[in-house]
Amino acid sequence: MQEWFEQVSSKFVMAFVEGDRWKLYIKGLGVTIEIAFFAAILGLIIGTVVALMRLSVKRDGRKTLWSRIAGAYIDVIRGTPSVLQLLIMWFIVMKSCKNGTLVAVLSFGINSGAYVAEIVRAGILAVDKGQSEAGRSLGLTKAQTMIYIVIPQAIKNVLPPIGNEFIVLLKETAIVGYVSLTDLTRAANQITSRTLEAFMPLIGAAVIYFVIIKILTILLGILERRLRRSDNR
Amino acid sequence: MIIVKDLHKKFEDGNHVLRGVDYHVRQGEKIVVIGPSGSGKSTFLRCLNLLEVPTGGEIWFDGQLITDPKINIDKIRQHMGMVFQNFNLFNNHTVMENITLAPVKLKLMGREEAGENALKLLERVGLKEKADSYPGQLSGGQKQRIAIVRSLAMNPRVMLFDEPTSALDPEMVGEVLEVMKELAESGMTMVVVTHEMGFAREVGTKVLFMDEGVIMEENTPGEFFTNPKCPRLQEFLSKVL
Repeated sequence: MQEWFEQVSSKFVMAFVEGDRWKLYIKGLGVTIEIAFFAAILGLIIGTVVALMRLSVKRDGRKTLWSRIAGAYIDVIRGTPSVLQLLIMWFIVMKSCKNGTLVAVLSFGINSGAYVAEIVRAGILAVDKGQSEAGRSLGLTKAQTMIYIVIPQAIKNVLPPIGNEFIVLLKETAIVGYVSLTDLTRAANQITSRTLEAFMPLIGAAVIYFVIIKILTILLGILERRLRRSDNR
Repeated sequence: MIIVKDLHKKFEDGNHVLRGVDYHVRQGEKIVVIGPSGSGKSTFLRCLNLLEVPTGGEIWFDGQLITDPKINIDKIRQHMGMVFQNFNLFNNHTVMENITLAPVKLKLMGREEAGENALKLLERVGLKEKADSYPGQLSGGQKQRIAIVRSLAMNPRVMLFDEPTSALDPEMVGEVLEVMKELAESGMTMVVVTHEMGFAREVGTKVLFMDEGVIMEENTPGEFFTNPKCPRLQEFLSKVL
């Protein structure tokens, strides 16, 4: 028992304390959060714009060119692996850009945008058609009806799936090691190869991801409840 | 005021709902449209403010051809109020905001003026104390009265009613019809699709019977109910009266 305990604690010291290795995790976590945060914002903006494009119809009810472009974008992004999108962005599209973080943010933002677009589209379609008909019947324009009536109600609908998308995005950034960025996953991996001990760094990184996502989940829950409350006032 | 010429509406699924409707609504008239479900009466009403885009024919409103694709339909709709079966109050806004949103955002009134006007209108339907409530806290009858007020706040030239009492509990039908009667007495031009035969008889200046996408019969309420001519209407009336 004594022996086992000593073994574990020495492995722990090796993985986290020796040579200030804990700083590497923190630094890696910083990179993970930085990329996820900015990519999430970019994804929200792209997603909302693309959803509105996707929903646009001509007067006779046919799809607009915008709608077709948005549809093609969603198809391409969802139809290819995000690792490949990241590599294509890094080695081909933004070949001359040396800022890996920027490339990662753009790549993940564009990727997330496609998923957010589908979530937002569903959220808008879930708002009763009568709401926009009532707006239009009063003489409000399409845009005014969207801004003042439909979108505020759609936000409540989309919050749970958007939260889910953020969580997926945060974990998906674990592949940025491919473009020589040192995020949390890569930091743990590097420490594993330096200490030749896999257990502590990998489990440690997993625990950190878990805690961060748990906190995010709790925050989203609070936000959701707050929005619901104003619903039944 | 509204002239409808050979109106056709064929939905994408091939359902040919309106098959040539001609009608002329004159200023101050109260037109009541009745007919079996699926007869096209709601579609006809929704075509008048282009919530449904007709697939053929013409609609003129105050001398303007509103079925012209180049017309600014938002401007036209400001003068045509519409009341829906399911009320369609904006769920994310208070009663007051529901009423003032359109006049303020369309810059027809300042916020204050719109607020005062809204309170006046709410008083008229006896719901002044609900100004700060949300639609979720109101009964169906209250919602519909507020929906009427919301349309009136735009000072429309004509009011369209799409089965305004069909989604109400029976005990709330009266309060909504009461408001509509008052509105009729104030001289408002109205087109009402309804199943309330009592209302048609009492308030209507003309009653239309629609079936199979056309107007089958048109008459004054007295003649319409006591002396129906076409057999389809006779059959319909014998079932509903």
